[in-house]
Amino acid sequence: MAQADGRPQPGAGQPHVFKLVLLGSGSVGKSSLALRYVKNDFKSILPTVGCAFFTKVVELGATSLKFEIWDTAGQEKYHSVCHLYFRGANAALLVYDITSKDSFHKAQQWLKDLEREFLPGEVVVMLVGNKTDLSEEREVTFEEGKEFAESQSLLFMETSARLNHQVTEAFSAIARELLQRAERKEDQTRRGGARLALNQGPMGRAKCCAR
Amino acid sequence: HFLVCYLINRKKMSLKSERRGIHVDQSELLCKKGCGYYGNPAWQGFCSKCWREEYHKARQKQIQEDWELAERLQREEEEAFASSQTSQGAQSLTFSKFEEKKTNEKTRKVTTVKKFFSASSRVGSKKAEIQEAKAPSPSINRQTSIETDRVSKEFIEFLKTFHKTGQEIYKQTKMFLEAMHYKRNLSTTWDSSCVQNNYKNLTKKKKKRKRMPPERVEKIMDQIEKYIMTRLYKYVFCPETTDDEKKDLAVQKRIRALHWVTPQMLCVPVNEEIPEVSDMVVKAITDIIEMDSKRVPRDKLACITKCSKHIFNAIKITKDEPASADDFLPTLIYIVLKGNPPRLQSNIQYITRFCNPSRLMSGEDGYYFTNLCCAVTFIEKLDAQSLNLSQEDFDRYMSGQTSPRKQESENWSPDACLGVKQMYKNLDLLSQLNERQERIMNEAKKLEKDLIDWTDGIAKKVQDIVEKCPLEIKPPNQSLAAIDSENVENDKLPPPLQPQVYAG
Repeated sequence: MAQADGRPQPGAGQPHVFKLVLLGSGSVGKSSLALRYVKNDFKSILPTVGCAFFTKVVELGATSLKFEIWDTAGQEKYHSVCHLYFRGANAALLVYDITSKDSFHKAQQWLKDLEREFLPGEVVVMLVGNKTDLSEEREVTFEEGKEFAESQSLLFMETSARLNHQVTEAFSAIARELLQRAERKEDQTRRGGARLALNQGPMGRAKCCAR
Repeated sequence: HFLVCYLINRKKMSLKSERRGIHVDQSELLCKKGCGYYGNPAWQGFCSKCWREEYHKARQKQIQEDWELAERLQREEEEAFASSQTSQGAQSLTFSKFEEKKTNEKTRKVTTVKKFFSASSRVGSKKAEIQEAKAPSPSINRQTSIETDRVSKEFIEFLKTFHKTGQEIYKQTKMFLEAMHYKRNLSTTWDSSCVQNNYKNLTKKKKKRKRMPPERVEKIMDQIEKYIMTRLYKYVFCPETTDDEKKDLAVQKRIRALHWVTPQMLCVPVNEEIPEVSDMVVKAITDIIEMDSKRVPRDKLACITKCSKHIFNAIKITKDEPASADDFLPTLIYIVLKGNPPRLQSNIQYITRFCNPSRLMSGEDGYYFTNLCCAVTFIEKLDAQSLNLSQEDFDRYMSGQTSPRKQESENWSPDACLGVKQMYKNLDLLSQLNERQERIMNEAKKLEKDLIDWTDGIAKKVQDIVEKCPLEIKPPNQSLAAIDSENVENDKLPPPLQPQVYAG
């Protein structure tokens, strides 16, 4: 549909905007991670009312980009409607709780949902094991997570939103990956410009209705 | 006539060129009727022309039924709304809009039918239609034209600040609008892509020509969107070529059937016993209902955002910590269930079709809109499991046999509206009275039975006694005076003793 190419085009001096979706079952710390990252804060009283939608500008060397973070409801019963959030997403953060094996399985399920909606390589996906501060109760080992991530070629990291351990790093890794992919895509566009021009869309129609 | 052919051909061509981008088997793309033109999945595999013919045949029959149903439902809705004090103002507005739409659709239908039967005089009737559109009867559209005029004026004022570019934009937009009026009867999908293309073209042109800063372009686009959509609203909102209206009614019915859902079932982290919170909930409901009265897609989005902010506030006051998406979505579902906003599906479709797409895929408005879509989808799919209920309970509640609220009436929140509280008290009282009535009836019946038994018993006893001692009728006795007369032997008796006096 027409919406497919409706992503805001970055203008001069304006950072790229990337949409990032937070996925994971309930109470694994999706919101806490985002909150920690955006405000460097762990569940204290905030001036803002909601923490389901965030934006953050990231500086990466010379370039900068803007993250738009969409939190999703993690409860099992909303699983069936969550694909609506995926539309137009550039990245996804699959969060699980290292003290809960179940949440790890759920994350794998989310990945399947993502694969159903996107072509391979269309979104940057990162698997995140949260709550490393509770490592005594750990049920999912670091190796397990890493192995799964590698088998599905996802980025992987373990974090603690409470201790602010590796939170910024995780988001930065996504940002780097996004920029890299964008650059690669630009190269491709330049090389395959002629082929792409054909797919540009129905230009004739627009003229037709303006006349 | 030539012009119409030309337009249709152009459209076919553009469809072809669009398809070339996507790799699908060519034979699947042809119209199912075999007219040689390309079909479209949105038109069930027909080409636009065949589809319109097929569709109108089926549709004409249905329209009348649908109207009757819609009218009846709307009347019910109105009554329901009239009783709730909060949204009286909003309702009268929606209702008048609905009436307006209906009348409008009727006139439209007439022209469509006319056109359908007189294909040869097509150009003529189209002209008539345009005139009709240009000179709408004042009684129907007074409210509309006032708003349109105001927006037009604003738009011109706004463009004046851009001098020459402004003039060009105005000309372009005007041309676009006229073209749209002309082809108003084509399918909505097409309308939508026209509008979207127009957005894209305009944006591109502006970027190329002036190197305007993006914020400025965005502002202009917003104004253009406002202008175009205000002018086109009544033709493209919930058009008869789609089944939006049917879906609206389905959603409305569904929500009504789910009236018994409590916040506890949805795990809504909102405590309505706190007056501030219930205030926020009411505000959120008002906002989401208000959405229907706005005409510009962006204004509709703004209503959703406003509603969401109130929801976040409500959650924050209840939980004393900022709400996450885990809390937000259930609450939004609850608000939608409680508010039952009018023409929800049409509004969502309208926004999806005609809003600048960049606003729906990203940005805060887009996020809340997506959440609303999720909420509606969830409500449509909702089952026993998603409310943590057993299937039997769910079925019972859905069929209206019982209501969980009735059972829980004792712990009905003390801060609920007075009328509601009174109502529940009365309901309680009624059920008690009912019980007593039943008891009395039972006892009365028992008493009746006792009485009957008693009389029967007595009768039986009497019978027994009568049987035991049968009544013997003796010959009548002589009169008392004659007793002695018949006693013959009386004469033989000694004479009665005479009293003797003894001197003592």
